[in-house]
Amino acid sequence: MPPRLDNRRLRELARARFTNPGGRRGFLVAFEGADGSGKTTQRKLFKTWLKAEGFDVVTTKWNSSDLVKPIIKSRKAVQALGPEEFSLLHAADFRHRVEHVIMPALWDGKVVIADRFLFTGLARDVARGLDLDWVLQLYQPLLWPDLVFYFAVSADTSGRRVTATRTPNFYEAGRDVTDLDDPVESYHRFVTRVIREYESLAVIFNFITIDAEQSMSQQHYQLRELFREGGKRPWSEWNVDAVVEWLALTRQRA
Amino acid sequence: MARAHPTTRVKVRRGTLISVDGIEAAEIVAAARARLAEVPRQRRAGVSLWDASGVFDDLVVAGRDAGAPSARTLLLLYAADLAFRLRWEIRPALAEGRVVAAAPYVATALAFGRAAGLPAGWLKQLFRFAPRPAQACYVDGSSARSGFIRFACGQLSLANGFLAQDVVARARKHLKPSARSRR
Repeated sequence: MPPRLDNRRLRELARARFTNPGGRRGFLVAFEGADGSGKTTQRKLFKTWLKAEGFDVVTTKWNSSDLVKPIIKSRKAVQALGPEEFSLLHAADFRHRVEHVIMPALWDGKVVIADRFLFTGLARDVARGLDLDWVLQLYQPLLWPDLVFYFAVSADTSGRRVTATRTPNFYEAGRDVTDLDDPVESYHRFVTRVIREYESLAVIFNFITIDAEQSMSQQHYQLRELFREGGKRPWSEWNVDAVVEWLALTRQRA
Repeated sequence: MARAHPTTRVKVRRGTLISVDGIEAAEIVAAARARLAEVPRQRRAGVSLWDASGVFDDLVVAGRDAGAPSARTLLLLYAADLAFRLRWEIRPALAEGRVVAAAPYVATALAFGRAAGLPAGWLKQLFRFAPRPAQACYVDGSSARSGFIRFACGQLSLANGFLAQDVVARARKHLKPSARSRR
């Protein structure tokens, strides 16, 4: 086992890695927005463009860890999740991906594109009636993206796009909290709450808002421009605790 | 009249939660059952056990390729399981005015978290949703063959090179103050 490093030394290591002027540092971009906002389409276009520009890109999606996703999936199937369990299981899935996917890629200098980030948990859980402060605690130590693109749509547009091809499922429609049997009606009510929470988070956490009612190409070229500007941002010191905790874990695992 | 000896009998009230925490599952379950046995039969609701939701059973199925969970991930899952127990077992029993024992409850998780080096403040916030028990008991058992802490150490040791016995020893030290602070 490698020698144990104290917290101060781990902080120095983290800063040296992410502020090294000679190399391309890891960069984290989050795509956020209500269902039907078109963010997944934009995320794919953005990834293709980044790769063409020579970036090494890793994508991570919401609720996708090999460890926790099957647990969530089986419980969603039988509609067995209460708001707290829903929130805690998604936070566990997120934490596992931070430790096994996101941090290793950032450490290696890659661009990580997150199709939904912790803000999805915050918006949905608060829309389910949970306390924002408690939900935020679940995601500690916080890892802040370098850029958060928030795809803003109205509840009507979101509902129209989602229901055009399918019926929203039980949790997507928020039927666990709306007590409405009609999935479309429930979806509209729930997504209205989710969007309201997103709008608050956008102000608090300084998201870059993209008008998702624009054409696909307009949005894509806007993202390129925003990345060219934002890509030069210095590393956020706020992230040092998250990096240090991961480094400590990694050294234990080595 | 002879003075009554200090009793260990459970004081029965409407809806009473008793927490029993410790390292060894068999011992805390036995202690919880002993406590409940002192309660009139019609008021007993039973013992709420760790992993009633089956989250940790399912975790084992995921296998090693999924990556070893950290202590933080395991505690988020413990909290999810506890939320399930509260929703389906503990709160309904309390609402019916019964006596229910939770074995283990919050103190076991706090002790493991502290032993694994997690901040006390985060742990306290994480379990903020769990009601305080009317009585908090701690079982100072000698073995650590089964239960959450044993399981968690086993999961961590898959990849982390953790020495399970060190975590168990540290958890034991943390357990008593944690249990007391929840009273």
